[in-house]
Amino acid sequence: MANTLRLYLTCIRNTLEAAMCLQNFPCQEVERHNKPEVELKTSPELLLNPVLICRNEAEKCLIETSINSIRISMKVKQADELENILAKKFLRFLSMRAEAFQVLRRKPVQGYDISFLITNYHCEDMHKHKLIDFIVQFMEDIDKEISELKLSVNTRGRLVATEFLKQFI
Amino acid sequence: MAFFSSGSRALVEILTRMQSAERPMPVDHTFFEFGSIRYHVEASASDPENVYLSIATPSLSHEASSSSSGLPEATLQETRKAYHRFAEVVEPPREGYVLTLKLNFSGLNRPKDRVKAINQVSLLQSVVLSSQLRDMLGSLGPSGTMRLVYNQRDPFFVSKTAERINAVFPMRFRDDTDLAIATSFFQELRELGSSFARAPECSWSPIPPPELRGEYVHRLTTNGGFVSFGVLSRHVRGKRAAKTAWILLNFQAYVKYHIKCTRRHIQSRMRERLEALTEVIHDARLRGNDDKRKSQAVAKKRRNNKRRLISFAKASKRLQKGFRAVLDKIKRLRLRIRVRGLDRLRRQCRCFAVPKLPPRRKEHGYHKLTEQ
Repeated sequence: MANTLRLYLTCIRNTLEAAMCLQNFPCQEVERHNKPEVELKTSPELLLNPVLICRNEAEKCLIETSINSIRISMKVKQADELENILAKKFLRFLSMRAEAFQVLRRKPVQGYDISFLITNYHCEDMHKHKLIDFIVQFMEDIDKEISELKLSVNTRGRLVATEFLKQFI
Repeated sequence: MAFFSSGSRALVEILTRMQSAERPMPVDHTFFEFGSIRYHVEASASDPENVYLSIATPSLSHEASSSSSGLPEATLQETRKAYHRFAEVVEPPREGYVLTLKLNFSGLNRPKDRVKAINQVSLLQSVVLSSQLRDMLGSLGPSGTMRLVYNQRDPFFVSKTAERINAVFPMRFRDDTDLAIATSFFQELRELGSSFARAPECSWSPIPPPELRGEYVHRLTTNGGFVSFGVLSRHVRGKRAAKTAWILLNFQAYVKYHIKCTRRHIQSRMRERLEALTEVIHDARLRGNDDKRKSQAVAKKRRNNKRRLISFAKASKRLQKGFRAVLDKIKRLRLRIRVRGLDRLRRQCRCFAVPKLPPRRKEHGYHKLTEQ
């Protein structure tokens, strides 16, 4: 792993560890309702300051925390046209299967590529440290997958082009 | 890519089956290949030696089609020359087809020769198309540009100069993913073109090449740019002409096939990654280990079943070895104990009666309630 990436991920991990202290908190507006405050943003006293962690202009992570929920939004590196398309395709593929991840948001926050929403119920149902591990691994894997996909598309292109030109010989 | 070989596999199969059939059988097949080439194979049981093969190929250019029906004389002559050993051109061709051949393989005694002849017949489409192409290029004169339509959706241009023939393909794609994959392919093709000395020179540019100046704008509107191949005289010398023409005619189909395969590859990789990530989130669950344990137990059970199958196979071998011995043993076990003369004794003196045992009742786990 590149040194800058490690620092970036460590920073996200530490921030998540600090931010992920959620508790059950009923909605203050509607009686007998329990809603993620980070989404509704109806009571400013229940919200914490959002944290933006940037690796560079193209890669950043926004962590928004509230009393009963936390929202993590990411922007993935897209260096060229092919990476941009592959990233879009892959993230759309994952978003369409959001139910498999439970914490994945179907629609990302505006300006970001993918978002997670973790509520206090998720924290009760899962190990907190493993949940953080998942987020960090997810970020790592997405970067890796996009790079590998790009490489494999180019390699396939080269092989197919070679086969095509070989036909003339 | 076997899919783009110029030989028709269906035709080879039909003709081979007819040749290897013990009894003469009537054949009447019509089929399409590459979407636009139509074949018709016909043979009667009364005359099995003669097989009529008809082919309909698309007219490559509406602008330069010299004759409205049938093929130009040069093409017919070339076909006659190529297949003179076992085929003759039937004139006029069957209705709806451009060429009909009467095949007769009885002159070829060796099976090896017949196989070779059938393979040669399967290349008929490329012979016809390349001949048509050559005829059209001849009609162009020393220089000029022509629009060819092999696939209705993807027309391309052929321009002729004194030294070379340029085949220019305007590339259009449905969506951005296709475009990105194709762009990567074209870049590689352009880079590799110089390393293959025998292959035609390849270039790719987002703007139309100067040869297409004067063409209609809607014909030159693309999202994938223009791929050009510079075909020199050595690429179309002798037998290589048919091959080169076939490769270039199918270039767009080749690119589309590559895109399709790459998309499938990307999809399968994404699925794999999804599974890996899902596993991580399942591990994070507090009670997620139960599921894991369950799945591990299922896997263990499967492994045990496999082992059992293996041990069963071994046991069956042993059983086969001593099969007779085991059978004898079973027979012996099932046989009644015989005492010699006991039957006679029973018949003579009735006092010696063997008591009849009542049949064993099935034991139920409940008491039958009786009416009081």
